[in-house]
Amino acid sequence: MKPVKIAATACIALALVIVLFTTGCTQPSSPSASTATPSAKGPVGSVEAAGVGPMPSLLATGQVDGYISWQPVVEAGVESNVGQVAVYSKDLPPAGEWSNHPQNVFVVRKDFYSQNPDFVNDFSALNLAATQYINDHPQESAGIVADWLAGKQNFTYGNVSVSSVTAVNNALPTIEFTNDPSDSWKSSTSDFVQALIGIGTINGFVKNSSDRDAVLYNFQPYQSAAAIIAAKSVTTPAPLQNTVNVGYLMAVDHSALFVAVKDWQYFNDTYGIALKPEDLSKAKPDVADFLVNGQKIATVNLVPANAGPNLMQLAATNSLQMSYVGVPPAISAIDMGTPITIAYPIDNLGSGLVVAKGAPVQDWQSFAAWAKERSDAGKPLVIAAPGKGSIQDVMLRYALQNSGIAITEVKV
Amino acid sequence: MTRRLGLVLPILLIIGWEVAAIIVNNPFFLPKLETVIPVLISPFSDILGTGSLVQNALVSIERVVLGFALAAAVAIPLGIGMGRFAVLNDFFDTTIELLRPVPPLAWVPLALAWFKIGIVSIVFIIFIGAVFPILLNTVDGVRGVKNTWIEVSTTLGAKERQILTKVVLPGAAPTIWTGLRVGFGISWMCVVAAEILPGPTSGLGYLIMYAYNLGQINVIIAGIIVIGLIGLVIDQGFRAVEKRWFGWRGLER
Repeated sequence: MKPVKIAATACIALALVIVLFTTGCTQPSSPSASTATPSAKGPVGSVEAAGVGPMPSLLATGQVDGYISWQPVVEAGVESNVGQVAVYSKDLPPAGEWSNHPQNVFVVRKDFYSQNPDFVNDFSALNLAATQYINDHPQESAGIVADWLAGKQNFTYGNVSVSSVTAVNNALPTIEFTNDPSDSWKSSTSDFVQALIGIGTINGFVKNSSDRDAVLYNFQPYQSAAAIIAAKSVTTPAPLQNTVNVGYLMAVDHSALFVAVKDWQYFNDTYGIALKPEDLSKAKPDVADFLVNGQKIATVNLVPANAGPNLMQLAATNSLQMSYVGVPPAISAIDMGTPITIAYPIDNLGSGLVVAKGAPVQDWQSFAAWAKERSDAGKPLVIAAPGKGSIQDVMLRYALQNSGIAITEVKV
Repeated sequence: MTRRLGLVLPILLIIGWEVAAIIVNNPFFLPKLETVIPVLISPFSDILGTGSLVQNALVSIERVVLGFALAAAVAIPLGIGMGRFAVLNDFFDTTIELLRPVPPLAWVPLALAWFKIGIVSIVFIIFIGAVFPILLNTVDGVRGVKNTWIEVSTTLGAKERQILTKVVLPGAAPTIWTGLRVGFGISWMCVVAAEILPGPTSGLGYLIMYAYNLGQINVIIAGIIVIGLIGLVIDQGFRAVEKRWFGWRGLER
């Protein structure tokens, strides 16, 4: 047995898996202390993982009992045969709280918007059109997204090989693609901001403002874009002198951009607005011409990153003028004084709690029961979550608290 | 013969890996060779939409060479100055020792803010990794030039410029070369750190991090192997030059 263990340990080091181990649980914490119940039956440990990619590996190697993440890592756990979905984020308690929870947003630098309102509005109209297209043509969109993210190749998880098209196809229906800053979206986002204040991850402009909505949002681009789409006609704005840099993440959530670029001909013909790649042969175009009524308005650089905070740092130094980004980095950036504004959502939902295959879990109730049972047995569950203050981390804390289960952060 | 002996351990490691993979029987811990080999033996086919192994390797090599060349261009003249003139050494030494321990990864956020998205910030990270070993070895090499050689040339009427080009530089060359060899190794190591930066859509470092985000362990291992192999080949090149041109150093001792 011993040599096996040594070999396995060596292999983990080889494979660059970041191992977060579970000794010395300290510092109990709860999302907002006011509603913490004394009936807490026992702790669930949460492990902060560096990114969500390795989460199925952590589960497969028994280092965690489950994880909460965004897509396509939720489906990856299922398809690689190591896990099963306990609950998708919309069904996490308290009931109805997260039925429309924010996930990703589109942010614009304020100075850029005031100087180029027409460009931002037209670009936003393209986002709205692409979002609609994803909802109308999910199959075709899945193909485009899988091509952008993985060249339509297979994902290999352990012994299982899954087509990336299948994975994206399964993931898309769990995400709500919408650009509407609805009341329920705003209320959910506001709860999330409150939770971040409770955790202590934001304590600047957003926290101290008496009018948080004014600090966070400017929905004008959305309203103008909706009007353009409704009219199906757009006036050609004056061309921009400078190149525009637009940030995004290599994530299913930002499908609207991928679809807009890859299907540029359709949007050009239907709406008169398009992002036409300069090199049509590229799998992931990095430069595109922004066309309105067939006329080039600006050169747009598409800048991918592997984490939202990177994008927000670039926005702060005006290296990006607009970006697709997750809602937590956007809120933190605004809180720290980055001169950006949230213009509208890009997508909602799309997260899920995955537990080890064969666990006695079908839904949240049975998960809570399992957590209590394991805690009573002296073997508390360990769940991996993306960084503290992520929407997934906050939802898990809320849900556990709501079920009267304490959570401790596993210190590594 | 020595080269053949050097192959024994890698071969044993590969066999050990496969045996361990079979015993462990959990591909998440350790994927079997069979899942990695297909990636390696088709170096011209696309991987996860990032381009082929060869394309990614070429992109990384270009970045490393740029950063490394820049580091050499800065470090060698500065090192010669510092080694030859005490006042220059006193002026720069504290600052260099202050900056030297900072890992290249720590510069990533600042590099982004200063040099924006693109090749410049990537080259900067690689430059930071390579510049110090080259600099320190150059200073060392220049100081290590025998005083008697310099004295003899002074006696024979050599000017400072002649001493530098005809005595100091050739005398220090073997040590400077060692610095370049170490520096290149480190710049190659830095390519992963540099390619984490937003913007790149290719490169071996990018490929590894991208595969990490998607949990594709076989691609990660293939990337590691290719980085190692290229590093090995380049190091052999450095050694060959060392043997050919600087063999005299062994005799001198």
